[in-house]
Amino acid sequence: MTALELVSLLTQAIFVLIFLLVGWSVLRRPTRTSVDIALFFGAIAIAIVESRVVTTFRLPQVELISDVVALLVIAMPYLLLRLVDDFSDVPIVIVRLAEIGLLLSAAAFIATEGTIPPPLLLPVVVYFAALSTYCAIAFIRAAGRSTGVTRRRLQAVAAGTLLLGIAILAAGFTPLLPASLAGLPNGLTQVLALSSAIAYFVGFAPPQILRRAWQEPELRAFLRRAASLPRLPDTPSIVRALQDGAASTLGARATIGLIDLETNTLRFQDPHGVLPNEIGPSDYLAWRTFETQRPGYYPDAARAHPALASAYRAHGVRSLLIAPISAADKRLGALEAYTNHEPVFSEDDLDLVRLLADQAAVILESRALIDEAARVRAHEEAARLKEDFISAAAHDLKTPLTTLVAQAQFLERRAETEPSAPADLPGLRRIVREGRRLSSLVLELLDASRLEQGTLVGEREPVDLVELAREVARHDSYDGHRITVAADAPVVGSYDLRRIGQVLENLVENAVKYSPEGSEVRVAIAQRNGEAFIDVTDQGIGIPAADLPQIFQRFHRGSNVDDRRFAGMGLGLFISKGIVEQHGGRVSVESRVGAGSTFHVVLPLEAGR
Amino acid sequence: MVDDDPSIVAVVSDILIAEGHEVVSAENGAEALAKVNGEELVLLDMRMPVLDGWGFAREFRASGKRSPIVVMTAAENARRWAEEIGAEGYLAKPFEIDALIAAVERYATGTH
Repeated sequence: MTALELVSLLTQAIFVLIFLLVGWSVLRRPTRTSVDIALFFGAIAIAIVESRVVTTFRLPQVELISDVVALLVIAMPYLLLRLVDDFSDVPIVIVRLAEIGLLLSAAAFIATEGTIPPPLLLPVVVYFAALSTYCAIAFIRAAGRSTGVTRRRLQAVAAGTLLLGIAILAAGFTPLLPASLAGLPNGLTQVLALSSAIAYFVGFAPPQILRRAWQEPELRAFLRRAASLPRLPDTPSIVRALQDGAASTLGARATIGLIDLETNTLRFQDPHGVLPNEIGPSDYLAWRTFETQRPGYYPDAARAHPALASAYRAHGVRSLLIAPISAADKRLGALEAYTNHEPVFSEDDLDLVRLLADQAAVILESRALIDEAARVRAHEEAARLKEDFISAAAHDLKTPLTTLVAQAQFLERRAETEPSAPADLPGLRRIVREGRRLSSLVLELLDASRLEQGTLVGEREPVDLVELAREVARHDSYDGHRITVAADAPVVGSYDLRRIGQVLENLVENAVKYSPEGSEVRVAIAQRNGEAFIDVTDQGIGIPAADLPQIFQRFHRGSNVDDRRFAGMGLGLFISKGIVEQHGGRVSVESRVGAGSTFHVVLPLEAGR
Repeated sequence: MVDDDPSIVAVVSDILIAEGHEVVSAENGAEALAKVNGEELVLLDMRMPVLDGWGFAREFRASGKRSPIVVMTAAENARRWAEEIGAEGYLAKPFEIDALIAAVERYATGTH
């Protein structure tokens, strides 16, 4: 046996093996695609077996049989085209052309009684080669659109088709060449045919080990990313990442449905056309898997769920792999992988999809734990803040109360023991002052509490901010400072007069409080683009940069502020900010220690943002 | 007495002077450290600017002074704070003037 003969035998053996493997799968699960594959390889296998049997046993050629075989071979490119059509839609023109070519070739074969003369053989060969090339390109493009295992398999199929096309072309030209040169293309043809056989084998009947090897890098990539997934910002992003990971690992598309315990429905984030966004207890294959917690492999979804057959066809959903997502006995959802063509999955992929679903469960559970921990932390933080607020408020209220109680008791005692003694004016004044201080603290607290309930800002009316600022500036307690109001024209907006007045008072009061006597406090008011701009600038002690971010927070006083000399609870700016924000505006501050501060307030002129 | 609230300083001084005590006042721990001169008793507020009650007590004891300290604070944990700095007693603000007078008399007698 020559090397060439060995190559030829090997090629034929592989083609027959492919036929046996795909034939077996047709018997188990007959579907259009598997039938088309079996037909294609059947044609090849029959031609091979026939010629082998005839040459091996030196049987006389039975004309009918050899004619049928020859016609099958002529039909091969057309069968290949049908196969391409199963993976990606072939334009109807091409299908018609292929049919015409098939009929013409068959007619030529029958008319010439099996001996097509070389001039007529050429167009037949070109037809073969053109169709093979078209199919190869179609497979390459289909591979480009796929991922993972599917991509590799389609690449192999494309290679097989291309090699087969070239082999046919070479074989077709051989009779046209002078006899002395015939050996070269013959050897080439044999090698091409063997390569084609191997490529087809890998593409259509890949051994388990090869599938695993193809899946492994994708799976690895998925698992590598898995640890970081629970930290994604929200559950939908995690689900999307899981879907993408499952899709590339399986070489298909994937959608994840998570159970909503309140409504007892599976919610799908990106369902394919057949699945709605939400499914309750129903016949849907995904629900069945969720309910029974058993994974399912459906090579033909339409057949598995006939009621939805037309929907499955319409949306190009052919095969499904569905696995339950569950952590211990907690049912979380289902992972559904689907393809628009069929031989992509096999029964073995069930293990893989189950593994992916388990990973998804781990990731989703981790996320749930992270969320739960964050909720607990937020709750504790809120409770702590509330406690801080109450104890800080209590502390600040007790300070004037201490003076009030002690001073009043002292006066009472004096009145009892020395009824004729002159009135203790400083003591009485202290009572009045601390009483007022207490009452303003109580008002501040009330405002802060209303602010939190969102009820601080009441009815709005047209307010001229310039007029309002001038009124505030006239307050006699600012006598030691020069308060100037700079504005070109009235700035009228729709505000709660009392509350905006409170903001202006608070800002001017702070400016006065924290700047030396006799210095200027400047209030500048202007309007631009539907917004009012109020800037309050002082030449005071300024605010250290480290304090700026917290300056509008409750109970915060600048670290350079000599605490009790500047009475107040540290709620003023917090309340002002709240009032401005409830008007749809914003506040900010710039400051330089020792040079002064400017508070900026921006308010929309019209109510409603 | 050390307190950053001028009204409290004023009224407590009035009360104690009326009881026949002498009062030296300071508005924070640093000022108080500079002024102390063998007083019989320190009435100490805790939250103060510049140098707070904890800082004052540390420095005060470190300098070898043994005068008793009575903590005066509006915070809820007056007692714990008093223990923290090793103070002899505490007064939770707002206090009755009888409690103030009793505390001063109890801790100030017999020490110098």
